[in-house]
Amino acid sequence: MRLAVGTRTFAACVALTLFIAAPAFAKATVDDVSQGLTCQCGCGLTVANCNHPECSFSVPLRGEISRMLDQGMDRAAIIAIYRAKFGEKILSAPTTEGFNLLAWVMPFFALVVGGGFIVMMLGRWRHETPSLPLGSEMGAERIPALDSRLREKLDAEVKRLL
Amino acid sequence: MPNLGQLALAIALILALYSIAANIYGARRNATDVIVSARHAIWAMTAMVAIAAVSLWVGLLTSDFSLEYVASYSSTTLPTIYKITSLWGGQQGSLLLWTLLLSTFASIVAFQNRRRNPEIAPYALAVMAIVAVFFLGMLNFVTRPFDLMAVRPVEGSDLNPLLQNYWMAIHPPSLYTGYVSTTVPFAFAAAALITGKLDETWIRTTRRWAIFSWFFLTLGNMFGARWAYEVLGWGGYWAWDPVENAAFMPWLVMTAYLHSVMIQERKDMLKVWNLALIGLAFFLTLFGTFITRSGVISSVHSFTQSGLGPYFLTFLILIALVYTGALLYRVPDLRSPAEFESYLSREAAFLFNNLLLVGIAFAVFWGTIFPVLSEAVRGVKITVGPPFFNRVNGPLALGLVFLMGVGPLIAWRRMTVKNLASHFAAPAIIGITTGLILFGVEITQWYVLTAVSLVAFVAGTIAVEFGRGVTARRHMVHESTPRALVNLVSKNNRRYGGYIIHVGVIMAFVGIVGSSFFRVEVKKSVKPGESFAVGPYQLRFQSLNPLSTPHLESATAEVEVTRDGRPVASMFPAKLFYKKPQQPATHVAIRSTPLYDLYVVLAGIDDQSGMVTFQVFLTPLVFWLWAGGLMMVLGTVITMWPNVRERAAIAEAISRGKEQIAAEPAPGGE
Repeated sequence: MRLAVGTRTFAACVALTLFIAAPAFAKATVDDVSQGLTCQCGCGLTVANCNHPECSFSVPLRGEISRMLDQGMDRAAIIAIYRAKFGEKILSAPTTEGFNLLAWVMPFFALVVGGGFIVMMLGRWRHETPSLPLGSEMGAERIPALDSRLREKLDAEVKRLL
Repeated sequence: MPNLGQLALAIALILALYSIAANIYGARRNATDVIVSARHAIWAMTAMVAIAAVSLWVGLLTSDFSLEYVASYSSTTLPTIYKITSLWGGQQGSLLLWTLLLSTFASIVAFQNRRRNPEIAPYALAVMAIVAVFFLGMLNFVTRPFDLMAVRPVEGSDLNPLLQNYWMAIHPPSLYTGYVSTTVPFAFAAAALITGKLDETWIRTTRRWAIFSWFFLTLGNMFGARWAYEVLGWGGYWAWDPVENAAFMPWLVMTAYLHSVMIQERKDMLKVWNLALIGLAFFLTLFGTFITRSGVISSVHSFTQSGLGPYFLTFLILIALVYTGALLYRVPDLRSPAEFESYLSREAAFLFNNLLLVGIAFAVFWGTIFPVLSEAVRGVKITVGPPFFNRVNGPLALGLVFLMGVGPLIAWRRMTVKNLASHFAAPAIIGITTGLILFGVEITQWYVLTAVSLVAFVAGTIAVEFGRGVTARRHMVHESTPRALVNLVSKNNRRYGGYIIHVGVIMAFVGIVGSSFFRVEVKKSVKPGESFAVGPYQLRFQSLNPLSTPHLESATAEVEVTRDGRPVASMFPAKLFYKKPQQPATHVAIRSTPLYDLYVVLAGIDDQSGMVTFQVFLTPLVFWLWAGGLMMVLGTVITMWPNVRERAAIAEAISRGKEQIAAEPAPGGE
C-alpha cells in the first residue's frame, strides 16, 4: 500500500515536472532559442547571455539561429541541430528523458515527501495536544487572581515596556 | 616577511591543536586554569594568523615577487586598493582570509563566554579550533601562501581584470564573513550535542551570531550579484553558476533556521530540526568552499585547481558523519511534548516556510551536483543552467512569498475561520485588485500576475500589522502616529525588524520579476553623431576617447541620452585592455531609475570604418532588487539592536558581574 502511494506520488511529480520543464513559446525569438543553449567559450553562461561581446562561439551562433528562425524553423528543431552537433553539454538544461528526468523530478518529489511528513507529524501532534479555548494559555485557569499590589506592579512593568 | 608569515602559521596550528586538547581536558576535569589557558591559546592563534595576513599584505604592497602568490596575483602597476584585495584574489590568500575570520570569531566567542556557559563554551571553542586546524593544516602543508619562486620575476602576472572592481573588494569578505560566522552557532550546537546540555542555551548564546551570519550572507550574495551586473556586461546579475549556488544555499538554510528557531523559543518544539538545520548550514558553507577549490564542478568563479579537493571532501564527510551521529544519539533526549492545535496556525505556516526554503536549497544543490552524477552514471557531461533553476525554483518562490504574507497575521496555536477572514480580507483585496489592474494593462504572463499580486498581498499584511500596532499604541499610551511607529519598532525590534526584512525581500522579488520578464535588448552599430532608440530613450554616440596608462589601455565612448528631446544623461561605456595579463574587459555604463535601468555596453570598435557597436539593455525595475537589499540590511540592523529588555538584562548582568568580581578573589591568569 505504502509502495503504491509512493509510486503514485512519484508519477504525479513526473507529470508536474514535465509540465514545468516544457518551455512554451508562441513564436520563438533568438533569445528564446539561445537561452536553451550553453555557450562553449568558457563563460559558463547561455548563448543569449555570454558576456564576451566578440565571442567566437555565441555571436555567430546567434546569427545562425536568427537565420534558421527566418526560414521558419521552430525552437525544438534548432536546438536538436545543435545537440546533434555538440552533444548534450550544449543544452542549458537537462532533457526530460531517461536519467535526466531525475534532475527535474527529484526536487518536487523531495518537496512532496517533506510536505507529507510535516502533515503527518502535525496530525500526530494535534492528536496529542489538548484543545484549550482561545485566549487561554496552558494552565492559566490554575493561576490565582492577582491581588491589587501585583496588579499595580504588572501595570507598571507593562507601561515601562511599552 | 615570508619566513615570518609561514612561521606564524605553523605556530597558529600548534596553538589551535593545543586549544582543542586543553578545552576538552579542562571541561572534562573542570580545570578552570586549563580552560583559561585554552582561551589564551585561541587569542594567541588569532594573533599569529593576523601576523601571517599582514606579512602577505606587506608582500603584496611592496611587490615582493619572490613570493609565488604575489607574482601570480599582483603587479607593480596594480592600484594599491587592488593590491590589498589581492589577498583574497587567489587560492592561498582567500584561505588565509577565511582562517583570519574564523580565528577572530573564535577569539570573540572566547571573550564573550569567559564568565558564562562554562559547560558548553569550552566544547564550542574546541569545535571552532578543530575547524581552524583543518584550514591551518591546508595553509601549512597543502597550499602555502608563502612559497617562494625559484627565480624572482621582474614583474607579476597581475590580478584577474574581472577582480579589479570595487565590488570585488567587498563581496568576498562579506560572503566569507557570512560563511565563517555560521561556525559559531554550529560549534555551540555541536557542543550542546556533546555535553547533552540540550536546552535553549546554545540558541540563546548564538542568536545574534546566527543573524550576523545571515546578514553577511545576504550582503555577500547581493554584492556578488551587483558585481556580476556591473562587470560581466551581459545585463544580468545571477546566472545560477555553481559558485553562486554555493553562496545561495547556506542563505536559504539560515533563513529557514531563523524562522524555525522562533518555534523552539516559544513552544520548545523542533529541537532536532533546528540542530539539523544549523548543521546543514555549516555543511553547505564548507561544500561551497569545496566546489570552488576542487575543480569537481566547472565554474567561472573557480580558483586555480589544486590538490585541496580530496582533503576538503574528507573533512566534509567527517563533519557530516560525526555531527549526524551525535544528533541521532541525542534524539531521545531531544523529545519534548509537542503543542500543536491546528493547521491554521503560525506554527504550521513556519513549518511550511521551512519546507519551501529547504526545498529550494535542495533543488539548487541537486541541480549543482547533477552534472557530476550524470557523468558518473551515464558518462555524459551535461549542463544544468538557468532554465532549469528558474523553472524549478520559480513556483516554489511564489509559495514562499505567499507564506511570507500569511506568517505575520496568523495567530499562534490556532485561528478561527472568522478571524482568518477579518485579518486577511484587506490584504487579499489589495492582492487581487493589483492582479486585475495588471491584467487590465495587458500583462498576461501568469507568473508575473501571480507574483505581483502576491507581493501586493504581502505588502498589505505587513501594512495591516504595522497599522494595528500603531493604533494600539495610540490608544494605550496616547502617542502621535510617528512616535507610535518609532516606539513600536524600537520596543519590539525583533518582530518589526523582521517585517522590514520581509519588505526588503518583496522589493527584491519585484526587481527580479521585472528584470527577468520585461528586459529589452538592442544591438546597434553607429558612427559618431548618429543616434538610435532604446525604449523611450534616444542614444547619440558623440565620440570615442582612447587612453593609455602603464596598467591598461582603454577606449571610452561618450553617449548622450535624451528622452522626448530633453537631455537625460551622458554615459561613458568603455572597452579596457589590461596589459600584463593581456586580457580585455568591459566597463558598463548604467543609468538607474526606479522604473528602468539603461545599461550600455561598448561591444565592439571597428577601427577601419569608425563604427562602434553598442549593446544596450533596458531593464525594468531592477533598481528594486538593490533597494530591497538595502531594506534587508536596515531590517537586520533593527533586529540585532538590543531592545529595552535586553539592555536592562545586560546592565543587570554587568552589575552582577562587578559584584561577583568584588566578592571573589581574582582567578589565576584572568
